[in-house]
Amino acid sequence: MDTMPDLGDRPRDDEIMAQHYAIRAEEAEKMSFIGDKEPLSSLAAEYESGNAIFKKKIEKLGETYGALRRTRGDGNCFFRAFMFSYLENLLETRNEAEAGRVKDSVDKCKQSLLDLGHSEFTFEDFLASFTDQLDGVQDGSLSADQLVENSRDQSISDSVVMFFRFITSGEIRKRADFFEPFIVGTSGLSVQQFCRSSVEPMGEESDHVHITALSDALGVLIRIVYLDSSNGDGGNNLDVNFHDFIPGQCVQEQPILKSKPSVVLLYRPGHYDILYEK
Amino acid sequence: MASRARLFKEYKEVQREKTADSDIQLICDENNIYRWTAHIKGPADTPYQEGVFQLSINVPEQYPLVPPQVRFVTKIFHPNVHFKTGEICLDILKTAWSPAWTLQSVCRAIIALMSHPEPDSPLNCDCGNLLRSGDHRGYRSMARMYTRLAAVPNILH
Repeated sequence: MDTMPDLGDRPRDDEIMAQHYAIRAEEAEKMSFIGDKEPLSSLAAEYESGNAIFKKKIEKLGETYGALRRTRGDGNCFFRAFMFSYLENLLETRNEAEAGRVKDSVDKCKQSLLDLGHSEFTFEDFLASFTDQLDGVQDGSLSADQLVENSRDQSISDSVVMFFRFITSGEIRKRADFFEPFIVGTSGLSVQQFCRSSVEPMGEESDHVHITALSDALGVLIRIVYLDSSNGDGGNNLDVNFHDFIPGQCVQEQPILKSKPSVVLLYRPGHYDILYEK
Repeated sequence: MASRARLFKEYKEVQREKTADSDIQLICDENNIYRWTAHIKGPADTPYQEGVFQLSINVPEQYPLVPPQVRFVTKIFHPNVHFKTGEICLDILKTAWSPAWTLQSVCRAIIALMSHPEPDSPLNCDCGNLLRSGDHRGYRSMARMYTRLAAVPNILH
């Protein structure tokens, strides 16, 4: 018989995990992975009685950006926001050449993962969930509504997030010398430990290192706009800071892409949402 | 179902690599691909040397997005294994799980844990306390005794 003996007062691991999943499911009911497009004024409404610096910055934000789309705060928001924003942009611009280009990048990522010793079966299904979307863009079978539906589907969205986590980790380990100082400096972990504990597991939040690695791995320019309470020079000229993650900037052999960012995300401490230019 | 397909791939991989890693024997339940048994060899230069330890592996339907449940069936005296239930305290079986791991590499990680006990996160406090108080000899002799009693198959015959 293979039964779990009673432990008395201490909850068993499976009970702890079950509770963990129940909490997650509860969160899921409040907010889907990817929300509907909302006018930027809904962001202003959030801070109506809040921090003056935030209010000013949102006003400033309104000069360039007109709308946002919220994402669920489950630690995977950067990857889910990236997935949706990138594919939506691809659909709207009907950029089949870009879809083809990113597929080549995916192939290179796959090779890197194999070179790093991963068995193909551990990631091939996740890879396919992403390339399925790209195929849909190329052959015209993916509509905007279908993309929203796919991005809200747990199995598709989780799968694509997992693929991004694999290639982010792969990129970091492939260029360990480059990433090491940032990782050791901020986390005190080795590159391997960092990838194992902070990149590969679902629900681990993303920071500069993850974004740089994903941008480089896929060759996609990502702009992060920062909404925080930093006050710049303290004067009246409050600027909203942003940072462009330019693929290839840190890799010499690749040409530097200088184009409009296809993915623009709004960062508030601990969370990423999608931003739309006016 | 994604988990079934994935487990089937792991099954094929295990068959192919059977001879590659003689320290791990992974067997899938004939009637249920979600239930596995592993026999792992206690690593050399540890008190678990010469022992063969049985693990029971229950794979949830959401696998590989969530970790398998693995526990020791064979009694083992180790700070990160619950003495009564065989439950294992290992990050990759909980928060640090990722689908990059396989049943095979999980077994390898458990063997590594046998070589490198983490007394600061004990599930077996008596064992953890021995190590934390620096009584390595006491730990080794207890662990060796239980290895002989429970994990060395022919010693009693």
